[in-house]
Amino acid sequence: MSSESLHSSLLCLLAAVVAAPLVASAAVWLGISAKSPRTPAVAAMIVSLLASLAMTYLWNLDSGEAIEFGDQLGGGSFVCIDGITVVLMPYVSLVQFAILLVAPNRFLDTSATVRILLAVAATFATFSTAHPLALVVLWIATALPTWISTRNTPGGQSAARVFAIAILPAIVCLAVGTLLMVADPPWAAGSGPMGASGGWLVAVAVLIRKGIVPFHSWYPALFSGAPLSSALSATMPQVGSYTAVRLLIGHADGVATELVVLSQLALVTAVYGGALALVQRDLRGLIGTLAMSQSAMVLAGLAGTLPMELNGAFCVWISSGLALTGIGLVAWALESRAGPLSIQTPQGRFRDSPALACFFLLFGLATIGLPGTLSFVADDLIVSGSLDEQLHAGLLVIAATVLSGVAVMRGWFMIFGGPAAVDGPRHLILPRERIAMTVVLATLFVLGLFPAPLVGLLERAAEQLLATP
Amino acid sequence: MIPLQNISLPPVPLAVLAFDGLALQAGTAHDVISLLVVTQLAAPALTLVAIGLPALLGWPLAERTTTRLVGAGFTTAFLASLAVLFVLIMRGFATEVVHVGTWFAVGHHEATIELVADGLSVPYVCFSTGLCSLVNAFAGKYLHREPGFTRFFVLLALFGTGMNLMVLAGSIDVLFAGWEFLGISSTLLIGFFHERSNAVKAAIRAFTTYRICDVGLLAAAVMVHRAVGSGDFERIFAGTWPNAECLVPSGEATVIAILLVFAAMGKSAQVPFSNWLPRAMEGPTPSSAIFYGALSIHAGAYVLLRCEPLLDASLLARVMLVVVGVGTALHASAVGRVQTDLKSMLAYASMTQAGIIFAEIGCGLRVVALVHIVSHAILRSLQILRSPSALHDRHELEAALGGHLGAGGWSLRMLLPVGWQQGLYRVSLERGFEEMAAMRLVIGPVWRLLERIAAAEQAWIDWLGAERASVNENARDSIVNRSDGARR
Repeated sequence: MSSESLHSSLLCLLAAVVAAPLVASAAVWLGISAKSPRTPAVAAMIVSLLASLAMTYLWNLDSGEAIEFGDQLGGGSFVCIDGITVVLMPYVSLVQFAILLVAPNRFLDTSATVRILLAVAATFATFSTAHPLALVVLWIATALPTWISTRNTPGGQSAARVFAIAILPAIVCLAVGTLLMVADPPWAAGSGPMGASGGWLVAVAVLIRKGIVPFHSWYPALFSGAPLSSALSATMPQVGSYTAVRLLIGHADGVATELVVLSQLALVTAVYGGALALVQRDLRGLIGTLAMSQSAMVLAGLAGTLPMELNGAFCVWISSGLALTGIGLVAWALESRAGPLSIQTPQGRFRDSPALACFFLLFGLATIGLPGTLSFVADDLIVSGSLDEQLHAGLLVIAATVLSGVAVMRGWFMIFGGPAAVDGPRHLILPRERIAMTVVLATLFVLGLFPAPLVGLLERAAEQLLATP
Repeated sequence: MIPLQNISLPPVPLAVLAFDGLALQAGTAHDVISLLVVTQLAAPALTLVAIGLPALLGWPLAERTTTRLVGAGFTTAFLASLAVLFVLIMRGFATEVVHVGTWFAVGHHEATIELVADGLSVPYVCFSTGLCSLVNAFAGKYLHREPGFTRFFVLLALFGTGMNLMVLAGSIDVLFAGWEFLGISSTLLIGFFHERSNAVKAAIRAFTTYRICDVGLLAAAVMVHRAVGSGDFERIFAGTWPNAECLVPSGEATVIAILLVFAAMGKSAQVPFSNWLPRAMEGPTPSSAIFYGALSIHAGAYVLLRCEPLLDASLLARVMLVVVGVGTALHASAVGRVQTDLKSMLAYASMTQAGIIFAEIGCGLRVVALVHIVSHAILRSLQILRSPSALHDRHELEAALGGHLGAGGWSLRMLLPVGWQQGLYRVSLERGFEEMAAMRLVIGPVWRLLERIAAAEQAWIDWLGAERASVNENARDSIVNRSDGARR
């Protein structure tokens, strides 16, 4: 296949990835599948997943160079397909596929489905652009459905308010920052103070969007008050990390100072989130603080000057995202049967849902670096990479992993351990729940047992990013 | 100390190896050994998949099929290890390194899967897989119709895989992977009877201890990579066990050795990380036997034996080992004597022996330590497996005799003045105040601090999320509620 036809194919596949959820949302909105909005939504995600996997395959066939279409402004093009894009697209498709499959029937009405699909399309679009101004628009497009869904949830107004208080300033900082960076691009040699100020504003925006200390409060708030689909969709793709990759890596004067500051704060957040997870009183609080800790680890690795560190960060991105999505889905399935779950005392849910207990345990272990899962590889890369450069970073990553590990196992034992209600009903896992969780779990294990292709792909992406002037 | 090579059979020329009457070239012999070593690892791992996957998909296998599969896995591994042991004896215990492959590589960082067959690993695998086979046979009857039957055997297979991975590891990275499997399977088996609150608490306690001490092994692995650029034992030690030489510079070797001792202390329940062990007996008897009587309790000692050249290079680490070992042995011996239930008493007896083994390793008595591990493990696992029926037998005997059999005879404590005996008794009843000190001085304050921080976080979130008109009132209520909660 010639290079041109390969590029055209990639562009077509990208269009299919982004268009599938848009078409499905239109179909659901028009009432074509009013009785079961899940069917077109899941079908769209399967199309997106297959198209994105085909993108990954084709991109790998090519020389592995970034493929750019459209106008270039500031640091990137309007459409950019590189190693990060072709890895993140299948990842987001898989996460959303699982969310839509597990979502309880009473939650997944027409409007909720349309909002989820629009948010997914916006996320896909975000991951296919490196254009600074497009990123600003897509930040709004990805945040808006989350806010609306949270606000419309009974008891979610408070979380929606916290989310809005955090995200609005972040969007303003990003918008102003990118304008300054476009005016005085730090990607080009001889950039002045305007570009540097823009960089700092973008860094603040990323800090907030990533829930890094001291701007982390919206993370646990969202997980406590929002539907889990919204919380997971807003946090697992890590639009903030992607923005940092596009706007803060590859500056003319090497690693941006703001990225180094971000990474140090991220390390503190990773440990702090793990410590907070230890003393949470309910399951959603546990997932929120764990997500905060794990997502901070991604940012911690992005400031590296070695491909290995970036590679580790990308691996953590995918492994923690899949594993936490799995935990979130199990939590959602449990909540839909038993209501909110406390983890202050043993709740005895094992007898009720042994299969969910199994999945929770495996996803939990996959979060904390069980050998054989992708998180073990990710932890190995990020710890080794960090320690090559800075000892304290590696030790803080180890501390965060230890704290998260104890928190996960405590959570598991508190939810599933303890005396069961003798007369309580048994809630067996539904086939669609089992399929979704098995697929996500299998991905974590297959990528963990045979990580070489993924790691190789990410290494090329990392080398490209670090080499970009 | 007699080097193990000196007590083996006369070495055979490496070029041609006589094996079952068949002349094998050295290269072929290496291939055969490689295949057998991989079999030792693959057999329990395949078993794990064979019984775990159907259970996960909702179609658990029948009890008999489960026990037969697990038994077949362990027996295959046992036979393979016996074959390798035979070949190793014929070759004078020359170390065989099996390069399974490169897992992944990034830049200069290469994660290789290397296994090692030598005078330490192969006898240990023989003994551990043999014991696992026996416990599998015992547990098949003991846990018949138990609700968690399949779960137990899945965890046993996971444990066996982890144990073989750790023992056969040819690099510290692979060793860490096996070590993690051990910790996870141990935790889940302690909490096997999850409907009992005590089992849940004991499992969380054990896992927390493991996790804290895992920091030592993880940090040691990272330090090894920094020091020699690889985690392979070939790059860390030169020569064959037990007389290998350390290739890591002295200063770094000391740090790594101390980290390894720290890691081993947690898994082998050494003071001050010992209080999880008696509570770990909440698990089913077969798992108690194999974990806390035989294999898991000695995992720390095994790691120290494997990394003995690093200990050789560090006097400080060796002194630390002797102090910790002797201290644990004295503590556990005293506390074990006042226990009122059999399994706790056996747990402390195990701890005592593990302490002595630590001291032996610290003194450089490696072969003695290995023999001690094997003999103690066999005796203790038998005692634990026998304990439920032994109690039953004793009760029957007492019923037949019409009175108590009486307890004990002469003991060393009788040499002490009466006042000292009473003091020692009180300290032993309180388990040496070890747990109380940990709770009051470390865990309690840290936990309370974290709870206060979490309460402040929640108050801040509530304030942010409250409607402006009633914000002050809500925030005040929230702070009061959370503070009350934190105090509770």
